This record gives sequence, C-alpha cells and structure tokens, in this order.
Amino acid sequence: MRKFGLHFGLILACVVVLLPPLWALRTSFVPESMSYSTEILPAFTLDNYTGLFEKNRFGTFYVNSLIVALGSVILALPFAACTGYAFARFRTGGRFARFAVLATQMLPPVALVLPAFAILRGAGLTNSLPGLILVYSALNLPFLTWILMGFFEGVPADMEGAAMTDGATAWGAFWRIVIPVSLPGLAAAGVLGFILSWNEFLFALVLSGPQTATIPVSLAALQTSNGVQIAKVSAGVVLAILPLVIASRFIQRFIIQGLTFGGVK
Amino acid sequence: MASIELDRVSKLYANGAYGVRDVNLQIEDGEFVIFLGPSGCGKSTTLRMIAGLESISSGDLRIGGRSVNGVAPRDRNVAVVFQSYALYPHMSVWHNMAFGLKMRGVPLAEIDTKVAKAADMLGLNHLLQRKPGALSGGQRQRVALGRAIVREPEAFLLDEPLSNLDAQLRAEMRLELVKLHRRLGRTIVHVTHDQVEAMTMGDRICIMKDGRMIQSGRPLDVYANPADTFVARFLATPPMNLVPAHLEHEGEALVVSIDAATRITVPRQHYLPYVHKAGGPITVGIRAEDIYETQQRPEWQKITVKVVAIEALGAENVLIGLLGRDKPIEIQARLGRHFFAPVDSMVDLYVDVEPMHLFDAETGKAVARPPLPVGR
Ligand SMILES: Nc1ncnc2c1ncn2[C@@H]1O[C@H](COP(=O)(O)OP(=O)(O)O)[C@@H](O)[C@H]1O
Ligand SMILES: [Mg+2]
Repeated sequence: MRKFGLHFGLILACVVVLLPPLWALRTSFVPESMSYSTEILPAFTLDNYTGLFEKNRFGTFYVNSLIVALGSVILALPFAACTGYAFARFRTGGRFARFAVLATQMLPPVALVLPAFAILRGAGLTNSLPGLILVYSALNLPFLTWILMGFFEGVPADMEGAAMTDGATAWGAFWRIVIPVSLPGLAAAGVLGFILSWNEFLFALVLSGPQTATIPVSLAALQTSNGVQIAKVSAGVVLAILPLVIASRFIQRFIIQGLTFGGVK
Repeated sequence: MASIELDRVSKLYANGAYGVRDVNLQIEDGEFVIFLGPSGCGKSTTLRMIAGLESISSGDLRIGGRSVNGVAPRDRNVAVVFQSYALYPHMSVWHNMAFGLKMRGVPLAEIDTKVAKAADMLGLNHLLQRKPGALSGGQRQRVALGRAIVREPEAFLLDEPLSNLDAQLRAEMRLELVKLHRRLGRTIVHVTHDQVEAMTMGDRICIMKDGRMIQSGRPLDVYANPADTFVARFLATPPMNLVPAHLEHEGEALVVSIDAATRITVPRQHYLPYVHKAGGPITVGIRAEDIYETQQRPEWQKITVKVVAIEALGAENVLIGLLGRDKPIEIQARLGRHFFAPVDSMVDLYVDVEPMHLFDAETGKAVARPPLPVGR
C-alpha cells in the first residue's frame, strides 16, 4: 500500500514536470489555427517545422546556436581547467579568490550586458558569432571553474607526486594524469556550459544581429505584431531541446559522476 | 652513490606550524632505514622533502653528496611508493609501470624488457593489461612497488606501503621488501608507525616525535637503550611499564621505592651512573618481558600485583595488574601460557632488574648509563 502511494506520488510529479514539454510537442504538430484547442490532437501537420526552416531561416539560427555554444565551451574549458586546478592544488589567491570568482555569478545579467555591448562594439565584434562566443566563454568561466575545482580537489595529490618523481614536470603531471583522470568532470562541465550557452537569451538578443541570432532570439521573434505563432514556437522549442535531451541521455553517467566526485566520497 | 644527508632540515607550514624541525640524519648508500613514529609526527613530510614533493624551509638536503634543495623531483632519481599507492587509474598496470621510463625517453623495446622483468619479480605478469581498479589491495601494492623498481632509482622512499594490507599479507610483504633490498642493494627509506616493521626490516630505525628525530640506531640497540620514555613505550607491545618512584640510598645500595612494600634494589653495576639521582623522584621502566612468574635467579626481585585481567594470546599470557598500594599503577607482564590467576587476587612476580631503566621524572629522558649489550 505504501509502495502504491509512493508510485502514485512519483507519477504525479512526473506529469507535472513533463506536461509543459509534452504539450509543446503536441502543439508543434497541430495547425496554427487549432493550436489553442483543448483536444489532444485535433489535426496533424508538419507545416510548423517546414515553415520554420523555409520562412524563418531556422537552419541558420540552429547552426549559429551550435557554433556559439560549442565554441564558448571549447574556449572556456581550458581556462576553467587551469584556474580550477590552481585553486584546488595551489590554493592560489586563497578563499578570497575562490569567492570572488563565484561572486561574479551573483551579478544580475542585465548589469553586465551593456558593458559587454560597449566592449564588443569597441572591438568591432557586435553582431558577430566570435563576439558572442567570447562573451559566453566569459559568462561560463566562473561556474566551469568551480565545477572543475571540486573535481580536481578529489584527485589525490599523491598521484601527481608519483608522476613528478616518475619524471614528469608539474605541467606534465597535470596534462598526463590529472586531466585524463578528470575527464568525467570535464565532460560534465562541458555539457552544463553548453546548455547554459544554448539557452541564453538576454546577451544574444542585445549582441547579435539578423544574421547571427541564436535559437532563443529567433523564437522570441515569432511573437510578431500579428500575435504569437504558438505552434511554430512549439516546433522551435522541440527542436531546441532535442540536442539537450540526446546529450544528457549519453552523458548522464558523467554528469552524476562529475557532480559527486568532488564532494563526499 | 645515493647517500642521503639531512642537515638541520625543517619544514615550516604556511599556518606557522612546524611539520619537521631540525632533523639531522646521515643515510649511507644502500642502507635500509626506517622512520618510525606516531601519526602526525612528520614522517611523511620528511620523506616528501627528500623526494622533492615538499619544499624545504631551512636546512640542507644532499643526495649522493649533491645539494638538492631546489632540484625538481624528476631530477633526483628517487622513487616513492605512497601509502595510497597513487596508481594512475586510467592506465593499465603495464602503462603504470612504463610511465616513468617513457618520461625519461627510454626506447620502447627496453621499456618492454624492464617492465617484464619487474613484473616477473613481483608476480604481476598475468595482470599487466588490467586497470588498477580491477586489482586487489595487495596487487595494487605490488604494482606501486613495480612502478618504483623498473626505474632503477638510486633510492626508494616508501611511505607506509604496508599499512593498507591485512595482517597476513603485511607479514609476507615485509619479508619481500627485505629480500628486495638485499637483491637491489639500493638505499631504502621506509616510513611506518608499526613497531614490528620497524624492528624487523631495517638496518637502522629513526624515531620521530612532534617533527623531531629523537633517536636513531640499530633496532635492537634502540630497543635495549631507549633515549626517553616515549621511545620506551612506543617500540614494544605491550609498551614498557613506567612507574613513578623515588630513588633512595639503602646501606651500600640504591633502591627504587615505589611504595613502602615495593622496593627494587638497583643492580650494583648501575650504582655509579644512577647515584646522582638518589634522593629524588624517578620514573622506573620495566619491560613486560622482564617480569616472570617464578624467581629463576637470586638477583631478581619480587613485586606484588593485583590481577586486573589476563589476556591469553596462545603463545603467552599477558597479565594486566595494579602495582603499588597508595597510587596503584597499571602494569603489563608477559608470562608463560600456563600462568593463570583469578581476577582481583594478589600475585607475586619477579623482575629481572638488569635491563631496568631509570628515566628523569620530569623530562622523561633516560638517565645515562653504559648501554646494555645486545645479542648480535
Ligand atoms: N599542508 C599542511 N599545512 C599545515 N600542516 C600540515 C600540512 N601537511 C601536514 N601538516 C602537519 O604536519 C605534521 C606532520 O604531518 P605528516 O608528515 O603527514 O605526519 P606523518 O606522516 O608522520 O603522519 C602533522 O601535524 C600535520 O598536521
Ligand atoms: Mg604519513
């Protein structure tokens, strides 16, 4: 009986969590005119998807998002790894530096977006993907640093000691031992950074132009003066979360390992 | 040549505490030296300073006559076996062992033969393709040892390498390490807090406490002539019995007076070195194995203890009893396996007084006397 209650509760929770994305999935296959109907599936169409690509250049934005999210992670990870390692192993800057890094995450994004715009304009990088990549890397850096720091703290210092007496330099021990051992952590940090960049809206809105918009910006643009094209938005949402669903399915293992490694053994 | 010399070496940590203080030590080439001491006394720190993994705050460290204070670990040609083994978890056993050779640019064919030879020596042949995660504790320990051996370093630095093994395996590996030392003839510094390892393995033991090296010498010499009460207690199980007493003249002789009824006459040959302490408090040290249930020699002296417990260990029985009436002190005696007595009964025991030590009641330092001869 208790088991039944437990299962019932869990099912209910799943429904609550899953209903919005499932409803978006349903709406993405319904013609725009019937999208607000309460029927489960009043009619079936793929027009929303084809329309997105044919009329709204969704392909371009999709590729933009991929480039920006991947690029920012690839750019930020090496810096985050080095910083996190310095914090973890050498206690560089002490506690103050650690929390200073974290404190930057507490600032409201709005406070950063205008300075970022000014800097990019000075460098001639507004409306460009490299500009967006740079900004996302900077935004992700503190949080990636913290994740990796936790991970590196879990790598026994003796392992590096062994490598160094075995003939490696300090850098060699980091590169040949610490990094390979920390791959799950790097994967977890990378995926989380990718998701953050993928979903980011505010900076993309301000810093990108018509050619360089990302998915969140392009979806927002579907709220036209003639109203919200909710079925198309739904189709866009489904396409937007698809890579995240696939990615998380493959690296769930790493993420869990990555997030628990540094904590309790 | 890999002699290791520590010349007033200290380690001052950032928090202002000394991990190691003014350690002087000369380790000869090929010597097997044991660092013994309780946890936290600075053994690992000393070892890590020798390996170059910890900076030296002051003092001078020489390996093979060359000052190496600022030399990187990889240029010291020493190998470390860590307590945690610190194997590379993402590499197979073969790669773990080959890593040091690869780092030194040894040709692959040579690496192959060297790893194979070391694996042979340690019985690791069938495990070479496994990752450390798939090995038992004992196997990991062997891999860690193998990783050190293949490099043919000048010196091996072993940080409690046996402490994670079960008792039987530990006894086996103790012997293995001694054999290994004989075969390789390299300098070994072996850190342990286990007094059995300390007594049986090395040419010399160095006893550490609170960051200082308080005594060093051949195991049996140190056992027979402890420098202070700490060494006296630490180097034996059960530890040496230490009883507060008073040193008095009695006619021609000196007497250790524990209470009115318990008075032990100091052997005549120790009269001269001890006489200057007469008339004051003293701590008397009696090893558990120097107490017997029968009087086998006339000069042995009787003490009476109240039985608290008897631990039958099979080969011997350890009696735990209370000595003295006013302020009873718990003492332990290693007696024959046939000795039994009811709890709370009073039993007469006999002390062989020749090896008995006197320690300063305040400082705990042994009162100097000619060292006891030790069977060689
Ligand atoms: N990084 C450090 N900072 C401050 N104190 C330390 C540090 N590392 C070790 N210590 C202290 O130095 C002392 C010696 O440590 P260690 O050499 O590891 O002892 P052992 O190996 O004999 O158990 C201990 O009291 C320990 O707390
Ligand atoms: Mg230690």
